[in-house]
This record gives sequence, structure tokens and C-alpha cells, in this order.
Amino acid sequence: MDEFPIIQQLGDDALLVTFAHTISWAVGVRVRSAARRIRDTHLSSVTDVVPAYTTLAVYFDSRAVSFATVSSEVATLIGDANAAGDDRSTLIEIPVRYDGPDLAEVAERKGLTQDEVIEKHCSRTYRAYMTGFAPGFTYLGDLDEALVLPRRTSPRVRVPAGSVAIAGAQTAVYPLVTPGGWHLIGTTSMAMFDPARDPPALVRAGDSVRFVRVDG
Amino acid sequence: MRDVITVIAAPPFATIQDLGRIGFRDSGVPVSGLMDRESGLLLNATLGNDPSAAMIEWAVGGGALRFDCATEIAVGGAEAILRINGVKADPWLPIVVASGDELRIDRIVRGRFVLIAVRGGIDVPVVLGSRSTLLSAGIGGLDGRRLRNGDQLPIGDHAGTPYDNIEFEKRAARTNSGGPVTVMRGPQASLFDDAAWATFLNTEYLVSLASDRSGYRLDGNAISHSGSAALPSEPACVGAIQIPDGGTPIVIMNDGPTVGGYPKIAVIRDSCLSRFAQMAPGYPVRFAVGSSNFDIA
Repeated sequence: MDEFPIIQQLGDDALLVTFAHTISWAVGVRVRSAARRIRDTHLSSVTDVVPAYTTLAVYFDSRAVSFATVSSEVATLIGDANAAGDDRSTLIEIPVRYDGPDLAEVAERKGLTQDEVIEKHCSRTYRAYMTGFAPGFTYLGDLDEALVLPRRTSPRVRVPAGSVAIAGAQTAVYPLVTPGGWHLIGTTSMAMFDPARDPPALVRAGDSVRFVRVDG
Repeated sequence: MRDVITVIAAPPFATIQDLGRIGFRDSGVPVSGLMDRESGLLLNATLGNDPSAAMIEWAVGGGALRFDCATEIAVGGAEAILRINGVKADPWLPIVVASGDELRIDRIVRGRFVLIAVRGGIDVPVVLGSRSTLLSAGIGGLDGRRLRNGDQLPIGDHAGTPYDNIEFEKRAARTNSGGPVTVMRGPQASLFDDAAWATFLNTEYLVSLASDRSGYRLDGNAISHSGSAALPSEPACVGAIQIPDGGTPIVIMNDGPTVGGYPKIAVIRDSCLSRFAQMAPGYPVRFAVGSSNFDIA
């Protein structure tokens, strides 16, 4: 059996800490709590702390500090059992016009009316698991089981910015024009990524999100 | 009127880059920055610029620039035929230019990115701590896009003391040296058995046409792994060599995603990243495990 957490070198300038091999919300809370502790300690020469589903990465300036040094500092910080901690969650409401090009197909494949799809998508408070894929793209879960579908068999080359989408047990907003294979069910005018803001991503790992239906 | 460089004939792909955008990976923002960082540092040092001064990263073809002020430039990175007002000029060395002088790059002879640095740096606005262009987000550089004909690039006024020449000639030689690209074992290295590692280390891969600032695909023998392909996505880094289901490697580069779910067999050492980044489509590459590129005989 692996003994978690595992610290590995990710590259000359980064280390990876693995807390589990399986995604769960509880693991995510541990990952983010550890990430926060590392960030708040302001370790010298650490440039970025990035939490993901079951892992976090610490990036550092390898010309100024060695992997061994950062690794032992990180091990001490995450080994502190008293500092388990809760998520510092911000609730973000995102207005959505449910006018996506895949809404009708999702409804048909799931044996629901379009209004039922919308109602199920709006009725939950989602939790943000991880930010990545594109600037400001945050994976939200868990979707109502009645809406779970695999990704589209042929991804779109160009998904419009602001598209609200679902795939598997997750939902997300595409912040920028990118390729994408998720089902597009709506649109928001809210800026998910704004380079004038710090942090530039509206929703980040640990936050809570509600989608609010708007008309017109 | 500010000092500017005017783009007379843009190549198919040129952007403004510096040392990159550090500190926003948790918002999904890649580091971006110069692909051949080592040459960039060298050119800035040559001109007495701050190491983080922005420059032009020029790729894919020829073109021309006009300097609308008297200044000093240095050109390096990929090997190219350079002419100032029609007269051949040397790479790596400081070049004094007068207002109205034209730099023409006929074509790139070897390598992938020609870097054109100017004394004082290219002074476009800083976005999230960097002047680097990130096309996918439309930020940095000149309006977040590639350079095009008629663009005017403002030149900054900060400049210090240039380094001495001997040092940068040595470093240029290092950047251009051959031999295998050195890697360290990646986080999922143990998912790959001895046969898979033998394939990875004994294959001469070719940089695929499907490669850009986000990632380089490599053509060659496929590598299989014993684990499940569905790893939870985890943070990635520049130089990470991922093995997707098809088995041929994809190397994450500067504008690539901050997270990924493919197993990473290995990660390119910092000391070899600039040289690897300069490999154009069709270039052969072999990998070796080692602590730096100087360990390989």
C-alpha cells in the first residue's frame, strides 16, 4: 500500500504531493487545506502552489533553493495533523441563459424535458474541484445523476466563451474560446477569466457555485 | 513620439515574450514566456537589459522590421540569415542600428525561434506580471495576438551595463550542442515497465508538425503503460513528457495546460529545455536519464 501523502519531484522546478489516487471531496479538502498552509507560510523562492483533485504542486526557483529543501519544508507543513482545516469557500452565483446548442439533445438522451434539464442543473450548489485546462476553467461537481452523459464523440473545434457545459458528473463554464467536448446547455455573460483581476479566475478550487436561470 | 520598432513584413508566427507569467497557475494560467529562455537571457545580458526585458520571438519564416530610432539590438536563438539594410549581420553580437534601418530575416536555417532583443526591451503593458503573449487568452504582448504588418512596438528606456562577450559565446555554443535531451523520471515513471522504458530511451523520435508553443507531439515508437489511463488530472510542468492512449509522447510546453491527466513518464531537465524548444518539426530527438545535459558523454 502507498503511504500518503507522497512527495515526488515533478521537474527541476516543481514537486508533486499526492494525497490519494481516487477523487473524493474529502481528499480535495485536504489538498486545498495543505495548499493554503504552504501558500500562507510564504516559503522562500516558492512561486506557485497549485491544488488539483488528489494532488498539489509546489513550484519553486531551483536556482535559489533545492528540491530537498522545499520537499522537507513541505513535508513538515503537510504533516501537521492539527491543521486539517475547512475549505474557505466563497459562494459565486452565475446567471445563465439556457440557450445552448446541445440542450435539446441532452434532454432527449436523458428522457427529460428541456425545463427539467434546466431545473436539475440550477437546483444544486456545486463545488469547485480544480482549475485548469484553460485559464479560468474550473471543474464543478457533482452533477445530478439524471444529467450524466459522456463527452461528445466529436469535440467542437471552437466553443464560444461563456458556454455553460456538462460532461460526466461535472459542469463548467468555458471562460475563453477553446476547443471542447462537453455538451453546451447555456451561456453566461459573467467573465470567468479577467486578467485585470487578482486572482484572474472567478471560480477556483474550493469555491461553491450556483447557476441562476435568467431569460432573454 | 516614443521610440518604436515597426513591423514591415511579419513572419507567420511572431509574438512578444519575456521570462513568463509566474504565480497564476492556480487560475489555470500557463507560464508562457520565451521558449528558448537560455538564448533570451543571453541576448538581454548582451545588451545590458534586465533579464526579464521582453523581446520578439520570431518563428516559421522570413520578414522584416524597421527601427524608427537609433538603438542597439541583438539577434540569437535559431540560426537565420540576417541582413541590416541588405548587408549580412552577425547573430549574438550587439548590432548598432540607426533610425530607418531595416532588419531582414530571409529564412530560418536551423532551429525554430529567432529572438530579436532591443536595448531597453519591448515595452508593451504588463499583464498579470508579464509582457508575454498568451494567444489562447488574448493577453500580453501586443493586444494578446501575433505581430502583423504595420505594428509599432514601443521600446523601453531601462538599460544597464552589457556583459562581456566571451561569456555569451560560450553559452551560445551550449545552447546549440547536440546529444540526447536529458530527462528525470516523471511522477508516473513506475507505470512503465522495462520494455516501455527501453522503447522510450532507444527510439529516435521526430518532432511532429503538430507542435506549437503549447506542446510538442513526437512521432516514433509507441510506449505502453500498465496503469489505468484515467488518472485524476494533476498539475503539470513545462517539459513534462506525457504518454496518452495512442502511446506517442506529447511534451507540455510554455503555453500548455497547467493540469493534465496523461501519465508522465519523464520530465525534461531545465538545462535541456531551451535546446529542445528549438527543435523544429522533423528534428530527431533522443532522451537519456541524467542529472544534466553535461553528464552525457
